Amino acid sequence: MALPLTDNKKKKKKKWQTYAVLFILPSFLLYLLFVIVPTFSSLYLSFTSWDGVSSDIRFIGFNNFVEIWNSERVHNALKNTLFMAVVLVLLENIVALALAMLVDQVRWFRNLFRSVFYFPVLLSGIVMGFVWTIILNYNFGVINQLLDMIGLSSLKADWLGNPDFAMLSIILSTVWKSAGYYMIIYLAGLQGIPQELAEAANIDGANRWQQFLHITFPLLAGAMTVCIVLSMIGSLKIFDQIAVMTDGGPGFETETLTYIIYKVGFGELRQGFGTALAQVLFLLILIVTIIQVKFLRKREVQL
Amino acid sequence: MQTRKRLNDFIIFVSTLLLAVVFFFPIFFNLMSAFKSNAEIMKDAIAFPKSVYLESFKYLLTETEYPRAILNSLILTAVSIAFMILVIPMAGYAIERHNKRWTRFVFVFYLAGMMIPFQAYMIPLFKELKILGLYGNLAGPVMIYISGSVGFGCLLYTSFLKGIPREIEESAEIDGCSKYGIFWRIVFPLLGPCTATLVVLNGLGIWNDFLMPMLVLPSGHTKTMIVEIFYYVGEFSSRWDMIFAGTTMSIIPILIIFLSLQKYFVKGIATGAIKG
Repeated sequence: MALPLTDNKKKKKKKWQTYAVLFILPSFLLYLLFVIVPTFSSLYLSFTSWDGVSSDIRFIGFNNFVEIWNSERVHNALKNTLFMAVVLVLLENIVALALAMLVDQVRWFRNLFRSVFYFPVLLSGIVMGFVWTIILNYNFGVINQLLDMIGLSSLKADWLGNPDFAMLSIILSTVWKSAGYYMIIYLAGLQGIPQELAEAANIDGANRWQQFLHITFPLLAGAMTVCIVLSMIGSLKIFDQIAVMTDGGPGFETETLTYIIYKVGFGELRQGFGTALAQVLFLLILIVTIIQVKFLRKREVQL
Repeated sequence: MQTRKRLNDFIIFVSTLLLAVVFFFPIFFNLMSAFKSNAEIMKDAIAFPKSVYLESFKYLLTETEYPRAILNSLILTAVSIAFMILVIPMAGYAIERHNKRWTRFVFVFYLAGMMIPFQAYMIPLFKELKILGLYGNLAGPVMIYISGSVGFGCLLYTSFLKGIPREIEESAEIDGCSKYGIFWRIVFPLLGPCTATLVVLNGLGIWNDFLMPMLVLPSGHTKTMIVEIFYYVGEFSSRWDMIFAGTTMSIIPILIIFLSLQKYFVKGIATGAIKG
């Protein structure tokens, strides 16, 4: 009696196996064809001098990477990328945390405020980049018009055309666009803090600042790790705003790593060199992710 | 004490309100400018429109390829999402329920893809589409979007499936239902909230995407809305009214969907945050 039962079970398992393969196969093939194959081709192409058009793909060893190491333009792009990432991570998180605390404490229209702060997240970088281009325009822009109105005409500037301000303008408009996203994560963190802690601190006579410093801030550590990592990865990948607001200019003032990959690969048709730069971007993101995993692991041990 | 608390609430409210005005202004400015003529925008950017000026909308919808671009964006978003729903939940289900070494490997393999930025493989991908004859064809981006969301999608579905008891599936199996039938008739309907999150987040991403569609759908009749807007910025560089009308038409659907499906957006963020 026992024999047929196991046989049946085996059959059933076999059947599940077939189904599982069938269920996974479509996504697996697509993933292989459109993510894995190009990723590895990219690695291969980074050792060639391919122009992207001809069938002549010449292997040139580490030449592309040597050029990256020596190129002023690449150094400049790397510097811009890192500067942008660090400033964006700081500003986005400060603004997001402030917004989250305000929304958490405000007594009226809480959901409306949350939606207003969050809405820019949903817009395309191209659309919001265009709107900001007009707002920042020298002759007809809102910012300069406002400065005129309040009698501070001397502060008027060509916000996107002046090398001193172009990067700053892109950074600020990006903070406006993405702070709402991190606000939602901080808000979830804030709502997870038990009310009793704040009350106890109140009774002990802690003022608002002390409460923030010793209760809110440490308890938000988890949300903060997540936000910092996400905003770091997001900042390293910024593309749309730069494309529409400055095209990497004035000069090479706002050219970042993602932008130079696009310019070199599709504008200058040096796709071998472009893929070599892509490896650098990949490496950067990999490093950030590994640091993040380490951080999260550490936290898990503590909990 | 009571009055101090009142004052405190009031100060918080006013600061939040001020920030909300700053945050809302660019969007308001965009919507408002779409109803102004170009001369009005240039003359006084902040002023309200004197009358509702609809010429830019009329021009865009009758004289340019914009309607075609709207249609392309709609088709691309809808078709990609439909295929995602067809392909991804199934894979997530098999990975979670058929827990074997090879499925665990597939899962890790998928998750690894979440770390690869699009720019890292876009150059060979571009060439690959040309070789496959998918360049300039909406089918190309559809497949790229599905492949790009496999990792996040499977993560979403496997973690949701852990909370669904297997008993229902087992009893259905005893009743003679095939795995295929069990999945689509019994499990898939239970995954509703998960699917909603996938649809909302990916739909938005596809609707707003720029770089990939610009690279692989460059010709007139396959351009998407966002790509068309990008070209208008160069082409109509002094006709801001046109561009504002165009951007407004891309914002309105987002606004409507956001207002009706708010909770799924927030839920999606929470999941995204866990994934890190």
